[in-house]
Formats: sequence, structure tokens, C-alpha cells
Amino acid sequence: MIEKTRYIPDGKKERKNQPVIHYLEAEYLYFPTTDLRCPAGESCVVDGQYVKVGELIGTRQGGFFEQPIHSTVSGYIVGSEKKVHSSGQTVDCVIVQNDKKYVLYENCVSRTEEEIDALTKEDYIKIIKDSGLSGLGGSGFPTYIKLETKHPIHTVVGNGVECEPHLISDYKLILERANRIVEGLTYAMRATGAKKGIIAVKKKYPELYEVLENARQSFTHFDIEIKRVGNHYPAGWELDTIKSATGIKVPQGKLPAEYGVTVFNVATLYGFYRAVKRRMPITERFFSISGDGIKSPKNFQVRIGTPVRDLIALAGGYTETDKNKVLICGGPMMGNALQSDDIVVTKTATSLIILDEEVIPTEPCIHCASCVYSCPVDLQPVQIMNAYKERDKDAINALGVNKCIECGLCSFTCPSKIHLTETMRQAKRFIKK
Amino acid sequence: MNYAKQTSPYIRKETSVKRMMFDVLIALLPLVVFAVYRFGMDALVRIILSAVIFVGVDVVAALLKVKVHPSVKDKKERFKLRWKTLTINHVSAPLVSSVIFAMIIPSTLPIYVLIVGALFGSIIAKAFFGGLGSNIFNPAAVARVVIGLSFVTAFNYVGIDVTSSATPLAAVNDSLASIPAMLESYSLKDLFLGNIPGSMGEISSILIILGGLYMFIRKAADFRVTVSMILSFTVIMFVATLTVKPIVDNGQIIETVLYQVLSGGLLFGAVFMVTDPVTSPVTKPGRWIYGLVVGAIVAAIRLFGALPEGVVFAILLGNIFVPLIDYYKWSKNKYSWKFILGYVVSLSVVSLIVLLALGGIK
Repeated sequence: MIEKTRYIPDGKKERKNQPVIHYLEAEYLYFPTTDLRCPAGESCVVDGQYVKVGELIGTRQGGFFEQPIHSTVSGYIVGSEKKVHSSGQTVDCVIVQNDKKYVLYENCVSRTEEEIDALTKEDYIKIIKDSGLSGLGGSGFPTYIKLETKHPIHTVVGNGVECEPHLISDYKLILERANRIVEGLTYAMRATGAKKGIIAVKKKYPELYEVLENARQSFTHFDIEIKRVGNHYPAGWELDTIKSATGIKVPQGKLPAEYGVTVFNVATLYGFYRAVKRRMPITERFFSISGDGIKSPKNFQVRIGTPVRDLIALAGGYTETDKNKVLICGGPMMGNALQSDDIVVTKTATSLIILDEEVIPTEPCIHCASCVYSCPVDLQPVQIMNAYKERDKDAINALGVNKCIECGLCSFTCPSKIHLTETMRQAKRFIKK
Repeated sequence: MNYAKQTSPYIRKETSVKRMMFDVLIALLPLVVFAVYRFGMDALVRIILSAVIFVGVDVVAALLKVKVHPSVKDKKERFKLRWKTLTINHVSAPLVSSVIFAMIIPSTLPIYVLIVGALFGSIIAKAFFGGLGSNIFNPAAVARVVIGLSFVTAFNYVGIDVTSSATPLAAVNDSLASIPAMLESYSLKDLFLGNIPGSMGEISSILIILGGLYMFIRKAADFRVTVSMILSFTVIMFVATLTVKPIVDNGQIIETVLYQVLSGGLLFGAVFMVTDPVTSPVTKPGRWIYGLVVGAIVAAIRLFGALPEGVVFAILLGNIFVPLIDYYKWSKNKYSWKFILGYVVSLSVVSLIVLLALGGIK
């Protein structure tokens, strides 16, 4: 239809009433030593060594940063194996055999209020770096790099919008850990020197607003505000969240820090709490398995490193149909399609969606311009598609394809079912050549 | 069980080209019924014939376009493979064009003229360009213009008043000044309800407006082009009317302008023809500009041209400008002050030119 599409059906209603299964029974846990951002990595443990919850077992190295890897269970190291990362790459993993005792590492003792009050900005950066915290909303960008910015920060925004349909992990996290998220926000404010903290949640979930508002009451000496933002998609996109939460318009290509704002996912704020207060890395996360290709969709609370095959078995396994399955790690709008279910839960994995493959026939473009009207970054997908068909580099560049955030709205809204988002990716790759 | 290779997004909105096309057909339905009611069998025969030709040509063109693998030798098999590629769009889209074409011809048009027009529109204006979505001119408008130019004498209009042989607009071709006289034989109410001679679907303004509203509410068409076209036409006609002293003296300005808007297929063109997404620009400002261009050309043809009905010509001329409006170096989907200013200035300049050309305000 010739209209701007902003609202997409979100399957959260069915998801959020389901109970969360706390799964601690995994026999072996796998910890990738590399990932998309960190192409190199090594483990600092030997086979047969006993490790405890929160103990350092290796380091991932990126271009200009490094990230420690922590064990999330106690047990013995039993070697390494190749597994599929949630981004689709095959990566080396350190395997820990779980002794199911969950013994805490000795260093993981809580900090007292006095100790926390005495922390300086450098201390915070070191703590966050050592805890291996990264953007848990899905970006996986190391959090300490964000803290190291030279720009003065006046506002910290906590992003609890989670605009992708079907995802439930931030929702559940806010409901269960609202207090700790707000406390994490106060640490993030101290670490950045920000005066104001805002947590953004969707308007249509008043329950999230209430729990956060209640949690806020215990931190009245900080200027914290819980903001209800729009229900549209992509409201959880960093720049969109900043705009709706603070009113500051950050142009694309600029860092929010240049405008004095920094954004952390609520799960990252929870990570702040654990790192600063408890000296612990993130060990658990909410993970959901859903879709029509699985027998009984379920929500899980699992240790990071748990193999997803265990969870699929718990969810009753695949439905037996002749159709091919589409495995999506992440949301149905922006997630990655995997070629194997041999994956493990990582910090940035939020959900696995299993769909029966349905081939959607494509029809000719009728220039209805729904994609142009719907694009959140004011691109003209149909024109880029035509320019790409002509292999016209100048036109693709001039139409600004690099601004595309691959949110998927153009494909979603197209009445001819043309896969525009994929064309945008191809066009991006083409002009890079 | 295998894992399918797909890329995000994995969900799609419940919309389709089919639904858009059927929405247009539903919007046209009252006009078709009215045409059959007014003109009887004549109208029915012409609508059905036009539909058969448009759909037939589209299906044949689609079948010919398919490349069957050379390994398939059997003729029956080859045909079956081609047949499988047909979709509902090969029926619904040409059906829309055919009904629109039938609505802009008079009910007395000789059958052979209609066949020539429909074949021209469906083959040359659509099939040769590549079928649905690839045509740069509106097929129905091309068909109408070709027969309008080739078979001038074939166009006779029937109305309630059988003696009249021209549309109300053809009668006022020469001068705006005669409109008040025309208003005496055909009141504005007649123009609204369709009690006037004219093409089959253009006469009942009220049904066109209803159909348009349905399309806009269902988002099957973009209101911007329609609004922009009617707006620019009205402004220019208003300015032109100011130059005619008797009308101004009698205070019949509004009636005259309304008369122009309601007659001669302007509304039909504005609602059903310029809104054709295939031949429209793809940006919001672009669609406003396109409407302005078409509206201004209609007004110019009516005021200065020798043709009584300029709408189809204006739409074809407007189609020529679409690639220019969409050119990547300047097309943007954002309204800017530059655009608003440009729109207002362009409209004022065109109005001023019309004013001066007609001799200024007397």
C-alpha cells in the first residue's frame, strides 16, 4: 500500500506470558575465542584445568581493543571445538565440562558503597574492560571504548525499547532486574560524568514503566527519568532512541558522544551493576526459541555458552514437516540466518526463531513508493535498486546507500514482495569494490 | 530437513499488488454500473470488448516473454511451463487499464476504433515496454490519444439531450465567456450527478469522488498527485476567469471555475489516471510536482489549445517529466522549504503567464 509503514506486528504478547525456564543442566559449555569484531583470540587455560564461575579463560582481540572471556560455570576444561557463532561464522570454542556446582571465583566479591564512591573514571574503565562487557543489545561493541570518549557526556540513555518483534529478553530482564538496571545506570552515569540518566521503554508496555519508576524511587539523589517512547519500528535504533528520549537529533555518521549522549542497552546497564558492585561478568541471559518450526516455543534463562541444541530439545524439537527450516538468530527483521543449529548462546544472542521456509514469489515493481515512504533514514530503495541493476556506481553513491541501516522495512512493506533490503546490501558491497 | 538460505527480513506485510489492483477495480465499479445504466448495451459491449483485448494482449505478451529451457522440446510441455508463470496480475492490471480506457471513450464510438485504440494501448504502450511496471506512459491514455487524433469524426457524444453532439466542454472551447450560457443548459448539479453528455465514465463527478475516496482510504492510490493536480488547475482557472469581465461583473467566478473542474474528464483523470503508480514519480515532493505539471498542462490546453479535452494529453506529457523529477541528483523524499517555495513560485509564475496571455484583468 502507498503509505508509510511504521508499525509492525510484534509477537511479544504470546511470548511475554510464557514462563521462563532457568536452565542450568548443560553438560558442556562452549566459549568462542573469536567473533565478528575480534578476529583473533587465545585461551589462557590448559586442558584439565579447573575453572570457576567468573574466572578468566581467554582473551579475544579486535583491531584496537581486547575482550576477556570468562567462564560462566565451574568445571574442567576439556579442549576446544569448532562451533557456529550467532553471526554465522565458524569459530573455535573452549569447552568447559560443567560440574553443576557453580562455585564462585575467589575474586568475585562485592564492593562496598565506600569502595564504589571512591572509584574514578579510570577505575570504571578498567573494571568494565576486565569484565568483558560489550553492547548486549546485539552490537557487541566493547563498552569500555564508549567510556573512553574524550567528549563531555551529559546524558546516559538506557535503551529498553527492543523494537524487533518476537524478542523478549530485554522485556523479561527489565521486569525481573529493574532495580539493578537503575543501579547500573547510576554507575554508568558516574563512569561518564553524566548528570542525567534516561531509560527508554515502549509506550505499550506500561508494566515496564512501572517497575522502573518504582526502582527509580530508591535512587532519588540521581537525576533519572523513565521515558516512554513510541511503539514504532525501528524505535530501538540508537539514533531514534536518542531522538525520542532526549530530543537531540544526531545525524547519521556522527557519534552520539559528540552530542553529549551515550546509549547503553538495559542489559549492558545490568552488566555495569554486576561488574561494579559484584565484580562479576555477565553470566546469564534471556534467550527465547520461537517460530512455527518448533514444537513448543519457550523462554529460557541460560548460562552464556550453553549449546542451543540442548534448548531446542527442551522445546520439543523441530516440527516434522517436509519444508526446509529457516533458523534465525536475532529478530525476524534484522537477524542472521544460520546454516546449522550447532550454535551456542553468546552475550549478543537474544533469540532463535525457527520458521518453515516459504518461498515468496516476487512480482514486478509498480513504483508504488511504499519503500520510499517507509524508509526511516529517507533513502529511496526503489531508485537504488534500479541504479544497482544498471551497475551505476555514481547514482548508488549519490542516493546514499551507505546510510542504510538494513532495518528491513523496505522489504517488509513492498506489495510486490521484492527483497529490497538484500539489494541494498548488494549495492553497498558493489560500491565498496 | 535442510536449512534454507534466506536473508533478513523474514516476515512480510500483508499487502500485494493484487489487492491494490482490485481496490482500483472496486473504486471503478460504480462508474461502470452508472455507464451501463446510462448508455445500456452500447456501454456494456465496449467495456467487455476493451477488457478482452487488454487482458488477452497482456497474457499473450507474458507467455511470449518467458524463456523456456531449450531441453524441453514438446510443444505442449513448453506451453505448460509458460502457462505456469502467469499470475493474477496478468489479469487484474490490464483489467484496470481496460476499464479506464472504456470510461474515457463515448458510448457511440465505433467498435473498430475501439479495437484499434485498445490494441495500440496494450501492445505498444505496455507490452513493448515490458509489461506491468515497466511502461512509462499510461496505456489507457495512449490508447485514447491515438484514436482521438486518428478518428476525430468518430467521437459523438450522447446525452439526455440527444440533439447535443458535443460535451459541455467542447462547446466552450473558444471562450471562457460562454460558460455562464452553458451553465443554463447544464447546471452544476447535472455535472455532479452525471446528467450531461460525455464519455462513459467521466460524467458523474459524485461517483468519481466516491471511488477516489475509497482508493485513498484503502491506500491504493496516492492522494498527493490528485490534490496537487486539481489545486494547480483550479488556481490557474481562477486567475484566467478574472480576465473575463462579464463573469466577474455577474459574480459567477466560482461557478465558472467549478464548471471547469467538474467537466471534461478532469476529475476522472485526476483520480484514476495520474495516480497510476507505475507512471508517477516515487517521492512525496515529486508527486506534488507531477500533479502541478499535469494540472498546468490541462489548464493550458483548455485555455489556449484547440483540443476540447486536454486531460489525457496532459497526462502523457506529464509522464515525460517523471524521469526528470525522479533524477537521482535532486529527488528527495523530504519536504524542504526549497520545495514549498519552488511549488508556490512555479504555480504563481504559470498563473501570471496565463493572466498576461489572456490580456490581464480588464
